[in-house]
Amino acid sequence: MEEIKSAIALVGYGLGAIGPGIGIGIVVGNAISAMARQPEAAGMVRTTMFLGIAFTEALALIGFVLFFIA
Amino acid sequence: MEQLILASGGCDPANDIICRPDNVIELFEFTDPLFTIGPLHFTRTVILIFLAMFIVLALLFFGLRGRKLIPSKFGVMVESLVSFVRDDIAVSIIGPEGVRYYPWLLSLFMFILVGNLFEITPFINFPITSRMALPGFLSLLTWVIFVFVGFKKNGFGYLGPLVWPKTVPVALRPLVGLIEFVSTFFLRPLTLAVRLFANMVAGHLMLTLLLVSGWVFLSSVGEIGIRSVIGIPWFVFGLGIFVFEIVVAVLQAYIFTLLSAVYVQSSVHPEH
Repeated sequence: MEEIKSAIALVGYGLGAIGPGIGIGIVVGNAISAMARQPEAAGMVRTTMFLGIAFTEALALIGFVLFFIA
Repeated sequence: MEQLILASGGCDPANDIICRPDNVIELFEFTDPLFTIGPLHFTRTVILIFLAMFIVLALLFFGLRGRKLIPSKFGVMVESLVSFVRDDIAVSIIGPEGVRYYPWLLSLFMFILVGNLFEITPFINFPITSRMALPGFLSLLTWVIFVFVGFKKNGFGYLGPLVWPKTVPVALRPLVGLIEFVSTFFLRPLTLAVRLFANMVAGHLMLTLLLVSGWVFLSSVGEIGIRSVIGIPWFVFGLGIFVFEIVVAVLQAYIFTLLSAVYVQSSVHPEH
């Protein structure tokens, strides 16, 4: 039973990581194209990009915690 | 060396292809006190926390002591760190009044940076931020500060836009308000702490498993013969991760400080 539980938790974490993976890809891709269009705004775009990554990542992190406490 | 023994305990290079510890928690727990003062037991983790504190104090003290017109090279390095936190994080996120919060942001940044870099410092090799107590406490501090600032600046008007957002259609307001309330007061400190903690745990785990596997396989060449080449990819991969972890350590310290500044900013100007 314990092994099944941890295996399901592992699958759940994998599923939970899909969304943030796609989201971080979109954030970083758009940030790169913004920096390429306007290199002089690169500093501001970089800060905002890290913020966006940090917020998008939250769901994957909650999944990570659930994997440990499951 | 203690960690190597722990991680290679139960490792059998003749049959396994990677060394795994029986219990991963052993890599992060140092339960034996190294020395004891009265009721306080000083384990390795506690000593490393104090070491990080003294390193930060020494860096700032010796870097900014006797400020001259032309500072030394070391002074320039410390000054650029300080001005990075003040100008690029505090002032550019919070605005002109960010100068008030920058001593706290600077101490957060320096302490987390030193604590993270312990992960890859030879002979220490243990990120103190991979124990949940430390990022948990730091993010609780951030939570206390941004909630306090929010209520002090806006009174109970701080809660208004959060639980009853005026920019949303009326029918949706209770739902959006509930989500906003939970995410501001519960998920913010949780994710702030877990982000740092999870990154450090994952990094430390990868480094330990890969480098210890490489070391165990390559050093037991006399017993297992040609099988010891299995250790070479583990070792190379581990060294690659080692470089990657330097980036992660700096980036996580930066993100923690940046998000703390953003949370304070959202309390100072709640309408944005």
